[in-house]
Amino acid sequence: MDFVLLSLILLSVGIYGLLTKRELLKVFVSVELIATAATLNFVMLSSSAGIQVGEAFLVLAFSTDTAVSAVILALLVVARKKYGTSDIGELVKPAKTEDKEVEA
Amino acid sequence: MILEVLAIGLVISACLAIFIDEAVYSVAALSGVFLFTSAMCAVSGAVFVAVFQFAVGIGTLAVLFLSGEMLGGKMEKKPKPKNVLLVLASGALFSLPAVFLSVFQTTNSVPPLSFGETLWSLRAGDVVLQGLVVLGVALGIGVVLFEKRRKGEP
Repeated sequence: MDFVLLSLILLSVGIYGLLTKRELLKVFVSVELIATAATLNFVMLSSSAGIQVGEAFLVLAFSTDTAVSAVILALLVVARKKYGTSDIGELVKPAKTEDKEVEA
Repeated sequence: MILEVLAIGLVISACLAIFIDEAVYSVAALSGVFLFTSAMCAVSGAVFVAVFQFAVGIGTLAVLFLSGEMLGGKMEKKPKPKNVLLVLASGALFSLPAVFLSVFQTTNSVPPLSFGETLWSLRAGDVVLQGLVVLGVALGIGVVLFEKRRKGEP
């Protein structure tokens, strides 16, 4: 059983979701997967090596992870309220059309 | 053996969370990711991290379920059983390298430190991180209030 490979697989799945999914909620899920991969890597390496620095660092890193979650959820709510959609492609469209109107 | 089973469940849950289109089902699969991760941490002896992970995961999932239900709109289509089975099979396939291969050897070159000692020695970083979070929240509230005042909203 190799935890580095397991973390790598989770990281790959998260990055795939981050690159291919257009829905903000899916992007959030992908970010959570990437954070989980990092968590697992820290914990398993520190556990298998017999040192607890990784575990202590992780308790601090959870606060940052929660802050990231709050920011993405706030973005989701604001985008849904202002534009009526949470699709990244749809959110980018108005800016492009406004730019073309200004150029014309 | 139990770690291997948990690892396979973790990868399958991650694949389901990404590849299922419906938001609520995706969040349900993400709950499996959190559950399997905290179980793996607990089995490996990192009980503190397991408890923290579980608590943070429960909070995140509660908010995600609510936002998925409120903002996701009506459920358009249920995921097809064939597609779910396909994702399950690919998740099991993806987890095989982690179960059967090994590329990393651990060394005990670092002297062991206890959890309490390490957390105490990192307290400065903890304070800075928490300060950044509070500062970010304060800045966000300030920007929202400033925008409201600029637009003349009550």
